[in-house]
Amino acid sequence: MPEAWGMWLAAFMQLTNDHIDYIIKDLNYRGIVADGIQEELIDHICSGVEMEMSKGKKFIDAYHHILKSFGHTGGLRETQKKVIQSENNKSRNMLKNYFTIAMRNLRKHSFYTFINVAGLSVGLAICFIILLFVINETSYDKHFENGDRIYRTKSEIKFGGNHYNMLYAPPILASALVAEYPEVEAAIRFRERGSYLVKRNVDNIKEGNVIWTDRDFFKVFSIPVIAGNAETALAEPNTIAISEKIAEKYFPGENALGQTLILDNKMNMKITAIYKTLPQNTHFHFDILISMEGLDEAKRLVWYSNNFQTYLLLRSGADAKQLESKFTELVVKNAMPQLAEVLGADFTMEKFIAAGNKMEYTLQPLSDIHLKSSLQGEFEPGFDMAYVYLFVAVALFILMIACINFMNLSTARSANRAKEVGIRKVMGSFRSHLMRQFLTESILLTFASILLALGIAYLLLPFFNQLSLRTLSIPFNQPMLYLIIIAAALGVGLLAGIYPSFFLSAFKPVNVLKGNVSLGMKSGFIRSALVVFQFTISISLVIGTLAVNRQLNYIQNKKLGFNKDQVIVIEDAYALGTNRTPFKDEIMRSGKMENATMTGFLPVSGTWRSDNPWWVEGRDPAVQENMVSIQNWRIDYDYIKTMGMNIKEGRDFSRDFPSDSSAVIINEAALKSFRFDGDPIGSKIQSFGSGPDGGPDKDHPISLTVVGIAENFHFESLKQNVSPLMMELSKRAEGPISFRFQSQNAKEIIQLLEVKWKELAPGQPFNYYFLDERFGTMYASEMRLGKIFGIFSMIAIVIACLGLFALTSFTAEQRMKEIGIRKVLGASISSIVLLLSKELGKLVLIAFVLAAPLAWYGIDWWLKDYTYKTEIGFGLYVIAGVAAFLIAWLTMSFQSFKAANSDPVKSLRSE
Amino acid sequence: MHSPELLKGTLQTILLKVLKDNGRMYGYEITQRVKELSAERILLTEGALYPTLHKLEAEGMLKTEVVTIGKRVRKYYSLTAEGKSLVKERVNELIAFIKTMGNVLQVELN
Repeated sequence: MPEAWGMWLAAFMQLTNDHIDYIIKDLNYRGIVADGIQEELIDHICSGVEMEMSKGKKFIDAYHHILKSFGHTGGLRETQKKVIQSENNKSRNMLKNYFTIAMRNLRKHSFYTFINVAGLSVGLAICFIILLFVINETSYDKHFENGDRIYRTKSEIKFGGNHYNMLYAPPILASALVAEYPEVEAAIRFRERGSYLVKRNVDNIKEGNVIWTDRDFFKVFSIPVIAGNAETALAEPNTIAISEKIAEKYFPGENALGQTLILDNKMNMKITAIYKTLPQNTHFHFDILISMEGLDEAKRLVWYSNNFQTYLLLRSGADAKQLESKFTELVVKNAMPQLAEVLGADFTMEKFIAAGNKMEYTLQPLSDIHLKSSLQGEFEPGFDMAYVYLFVAVALFILMIACINFMNLSTARSANRAKEVGIRKVMGSFRSHLMRQFLTESILLTFASILLALGIAYLLLPFFNQLSLRTLSIPFNQPMLYLIIIAAALGVGLLAGIYPSFFLSAFKPVNVLKGNVSLGMKSGFIRSALVVFQFTISISLVIGTLAVNRQLNYIQNKKLGFNKDQVIVIEDAYALGTNRTPFKDEIMRSGKMENATMTGFLPVSGTWRSDNPWWVEGRDPAVQENMVSIQNWRIDYDYIKTMGMNIKEGRDFSRDFPSDSSAVIINEAALKSFRFDGDPIGSKIQSFGSGPDGGPDKDHPISLTVVGIAENFHFESLKQNVSPLMMELSKRAEGPISFRFQSQNAKEIIQLLEVKWKELAPGQPFNYYFLDERFGTMYASEMRLGKIFGIFSMIAIVIACLGLFALTSFTAEQRMKEIGIRKVLGASISSIVLLLSKELGKLVLIAFVLAAPLAWYGIDWWLKDYTYKTEIGFGLYVIAGVAAFLIAWLTMSFQSFKAANSDPVKSLRSE
Repeated sequence: MHSPELLKGTLQTILLKVLKDNGRMYGYEITQRVKELSAERILLTEGALYPTLHKLEAEGMLKTEVVTIGKRVRKYYSLTAEGKSLVKERVNELIAFIKTMGNVLQVELN
């Protein structure tokens, strides 16, 4: 036979390796890559080529002949495709089957599907938002190139009864650090001087994010400079660097570089650099940087005045801890001699420390600023790491509550599916098949929930942003998002589905089909435990929310020692120039105002502060116990009346006493600190005069006579104690003007003020605030926290109740016949309702008992920050417990009543 | 040469019978054997051969073993016990079909 001969011959006509390589490459190029078929086709073609070559053909001709028989590239691919299809068919069929059955089941029990999807999607949406939030919070300041080498100094100063933990450092610290320690590559200072009125030509605009800083700013912070030279930008006095945002605001469509802006109507500032506006996740958002070269205060070589935030860039490889340990030595060498000079000759470091005083500088890494720092002198409020954990925990709890709903409903309905499981097993299903079936169902459900959750999160984000003051958005353009979605669908689907699938697939077909299994409500231990868990968390959250709100209420309504209501504060009064007093007088003449005062020292935080050491006249200031570090406020005659403070002893300042220019009113805390020997009224207190260089001058002390004692009033957050305070009359008119008004119509008051302002200060922006609103912002972050937790706990309890609702309706359904028989035998509706809600009611009660101590612990932790706290009495727990119980009971009774009211004829007829 | 349309329904039967008669075979060998037996009138196209082989394998009629020859990997097909019992059935079915066709077309078959 010629063919057999040919094959035999072909066996000797082996192709060379080069030929085979050529074929493999060529087939690869034509797209034949599938496992299991590629090698087979190669062998086939090789055999064919060998055959053709044995007939005397050249390799290349033989190869093309064989390819032709396949139908070239198209035919090859078609073959590959068919093979892959025939292989996939089997497992795909199974998947399709799982999918179809899952869909049918979900549709058939649409009520339970709805409860599950609703709970899961809300829970997931909350998780998703929190995830975005946490990602944002932990991304702060990560965009600076040298971020790991940037530190800032913290100052801890304890002196004269005051204890400061702050960022403010002496002006000289930055240069001293650079000079003394080679590991410091650069150091810059910041000096905040409030907001500025900025104008290009005529109209002023108020800008808040303005800061004075040193020339190395761009060296420390790698902020891209769009125009100008970063190195020399802030080297000269009267120069500024501005953000792109500001450049576009004042010079739209023009080149701002080299142009001039006028600050506060008097400082002509040349723009020497324009930098990219800082991203949201930075711990400061300065829009205008003013060169520190033009600030006299910055040139003072003193250690006893703290006003500058100081940032360092360390050299790579430098050890911050080690550097920090050398700071004590720096203080002893440089600061102490200066202090000795000011405080008296017999001052020594030992005495200073022995008296319990402290002057310590430490370093704080850039990465700690946003989440781990809240010191005096922060540029912007940060966020507390503890709250990040708390948020994550709450989000996870809500998700768990939703997952538990899923588990409970699946296992509770197991009786209904027991027959399905039995028959499937008899028909040859393995346990693994059943588990896969149930997992498919839960993953499918989760996937639907996730898509819904994404929608919910999208709708909720604007509200959340409003509450949290962030600008979060869903990153739809990032592939990571879709990966997370898929991972979450699988993860949560498994989490929710694994227990039911184990549980259901374990049924023994013989028992199930005989009807022995009424597992429905019996195997309730785990389910009960899960319900208790759900309600423990929900009730804890409710108690926590109530406690937070009670504390906030307490703060809002606490007697503050002054009257924060009905006071309007006109800011930037310096823009009035010489019209300041006429403005005040003319407004007063309108008769709409009760009182008016001019000063920047107001009893809300964020306004002017100044503290100095004072002592009782006749005592030795060199003895440290005699020194009292005290808030020294400069006010006017009408201040105390306008703010509504109470004079406890003595009298208010009065124009009838010319001697009041050297009088002082102190608060009760100051009275305690000074420990006067006789009657405090008429006693004198002393402090250092100021020398020609602005530093303290111990040879020319100034003294003031106490004329009144004011009742303590809270001028800082209620987290702090009222500290010693003294008020003297200001030598000049400065600061904002505050008016106390009678009218309930605030609009009218504002209009009155604005018209007069425009008349007397043309071209200047009119800015005002109400004192009580500003007071409110002191607690803004707590308010937001309270709201967010309120929402969270509501969601938690709603989801938990959804589950309870479904469970009750299921129980009622299961016990339909029992209820029917009971009714026929004369049971009342109320006894049946009681019967149905008793079981679950007990669980809620247990949950309450567990939740109470948990919540107590949490509240205690939160309240420890407050010096003034409300009593969280037993009543609050009772309220929360009763509320949770009532909500749960109402949820259950709806279904119970429905069941108890049903006609027994209907439920018994089928027997 | 016979048209592939006519061959379509008979391909599985041909493969099963050839494998039964020859034992272990690889793809190219099968095409050559069929070509030889049919005196070059039946040319199995690869596009039909391999998907059918894989399908029969997935259904458990065929088993495979892989032998490496130098750079090449050769996959041998042979019948499983299940496949063997199927062959007779399929062949009888085809013979009956051919007879029926003869009656339908009113021609004498030898």
